[in-house]
Amino acid sequence: MDRRFFLQLAAAPVLLGSEEIPSYKVVSAFKAANASSMPGPYRGVVTRVHSESVINTVTERVDQPAVDKMLSAGIKSLTGAKADREAWASFFSPGDIVGIKVNCSGAPLICATPEIVSGIVRNLLSVGVKPSNIYIYERFLGQLKSVHYERVVPEGVQIVAVETPQGSLLGYDPKTYVDVSFFGEDDTRSNLARLVTERFTKIINVPNAKEHQASGVTGCLKNLAYGDFSNVARSHMREKTNTLSFIGTLAAVEPLRSKCVLNIMDGLRAVWHGGPFAEDKKYRFYPKQMMFGTDPVAIDRLLLDLIEEKRKAEGAPSLWDRSTDKIDRRAHLDFHKNTFIREPGHIEYAAKNCGLGEYDKTRIKVTSVEL
Amino acid sequence: MLAALLLPSLLAAGAEAPADAVKLNEPRVQFRANEASATRSPWIDANGWRLLRDSGRKFVYHVKGEAAALAAAEAFTYGAEAFISADAPGADAFTRMLEFLKNLPATDLAPAADFGVVDDGSDANGELLNLLTRMNLLYRVEKNPDRSFRVNVRLGTKEYPPDEAQNPSELAHKIRSQIGDDQRLLRLYGSEVVIGRLLAGPHRARVFLLNYSARPVLGLRVRVRGAYPKGELRAFLVPDAQVADWTQDGTATEFTIPEFRAFAIIDLSRD
Repeated sequence: MDRRFFLQLAAAPVLLGSEEIPSYKVVSAFKAANASSMPGPYRGVVTRVHSESVINTVTERVDQPAVDKMLSAGIKSLTGAKADREAWASFFSPGDIVGIKVNCSGAPLICATPEIVSGIVRNLLSVGVKPSNIYIYERFLGQLKSVHYERVVPEGVQIVAVETPQGSLLGYDPKTYVDVSFFGEDDTRSNLARLVTERFTKIINVPNAKEHQASGVTGCLKNLAYGDFSNVARSHMREKTNTLSFIGTLAAVEPLRSKCVLNIMDGLRAVWHGGPFAEDKKYRFYPKQMMFGTDPVAIDRLLLDLIEEKRKAEGAPSLWDRSTDKIDRRAHLDFHKNTFIREPGHIEYAAKNCGLGEYDKTRIKVTSVEL
Repeated sequence: MLAALLLPSLLAAGAEAPADAVKLNEPRVQFRANEASATRSPWIDANGWRLLRDSGRKFVYHVKGEAAALAAAEAFTYGAEAFISADAPGADAFTRMLEFLKNLPATDLAPAADFGVVDDGSDANGELLNLLTRMNLLYRVEKNPDRSFRVNVRLGTKEYPPDEAQNPSELAHKIRSQIGDDQRLLRLYGSEVVIGRLLAGPHRARVFLLNYSARPVLGLRVRVRGAYPKGELRAFLVPDAQVADWTQDGTATEFTIPEFRAFAIIDLSRD
């Protein structure tokens, strides 16, 4: 196919604080599908579903029926549909090829909960999507395999990693990328996964609710951005991280922006310090909730409060603390310290500069469902 | 008339290289994960800068194992007369590489460069050349500034004062920004352990790719300035290698090398 290439040059960014924004060049031949392009049909709308019985915090056992009820309540509340099938069919058709973007970077202590992924797959099957057209995917195979999603989904559902083996560029689209230099690195490109550009017709984003040492929190935006592009770790060096502007810039690249039609945040477990890898169990907590929406910014805005409040309750410094005297490379083990100067402002940046959703809490409509 | 290929020689056991041969380091990559550095990049022990600086002299490598193959490819890439002293596994590796090199088509293309460096022979200048090579910045070593280049680097001048030479990394980045990434004749994406060289003529070009790590590089993306509708890949130990995802945007040609090990060349043609 002869595709005409064009540059999506970002408009002059709205600067947050004194940050100097790197110069981004976005190269993509894909145009926005207006109706589904994030923030999608439900801008500024979030349904939050809580179930006290969904997880046993001692045994870690997740109750599948409770998860199913949460999925049902969440998707119906978001869409206004009366039945599950009707709600899911408003996003997905039998002919779709659906990628479920899980997050396995904190596995096995925290990852996209298999029971939630299993429930999502069943709902996709119910609207006629073929098992072989459902992909559970992540960037790195080792992390993905450690979760064993194959145990909870029907045969035929595909479980695939973008970067196999790690370091290979073959799973990325050489024609769709963001070009930027952060620290003088020679490889200035981050390429979008071929699965996104060539295979999927739709994506469901299933992030965890985690603090992140670089970006402040890692939710919908970061799971999409750093989970679908190559060569992203280069955005951090010493105490400095460019996550402020990089996350939104990546998440807004077409066709990722248009194909991600639904975000389901897995907040059964959460991490208030030491993310994203969450090596220390003592920094986990259990909100026992899921958030549903098409607007990744609105969900992440609520996530910010969730993590910030927990940190405050634990006596940890604010996510917004930019003091450099707390920088420590082993900070993931000490909640008084941090590895980088966090950039929780990446969510506001994504709203104001990339148009990815609603950041103003007074304009976010939250529906809370208690089961 | 095509120039003959200059092939490296394996020293027989106990044999000595010519006394005036310049000794080179074992080509390799060192990962320094726990050391603070200006970048996250691994350290590459590459000899390209010495092969260019001392062009016309003889060189000798003392290497073991697979490094012999890489050493042979490195010397070949820079058109140097090199002698390689290797252990038995190294001799095998060298022989395999030599067979590959022998079968490459001869070429009369000239080295391509984005800028010139007037080399005063100092250690500071040597370190700068080393960094420029590792950063895949294509330069020509000069005795005097070449006006055909937009950028000519001469340490100690007003534009490149002596104090800047104290930090060769910063200086190399300054030079890179003076050239402009978009203007560079050759760019590589997807690996920090590959060094490239470019030969070019009016209608053809040849890209050399040296992989300094012990692992294959998968999916390296190559950008060459200029429009080249055709390209032919030859990759060491990868039979029937083909380039992929060929594109041209009016100013440059891009393609992907799906897999290559120690060495690959791509012959580009406008015809």
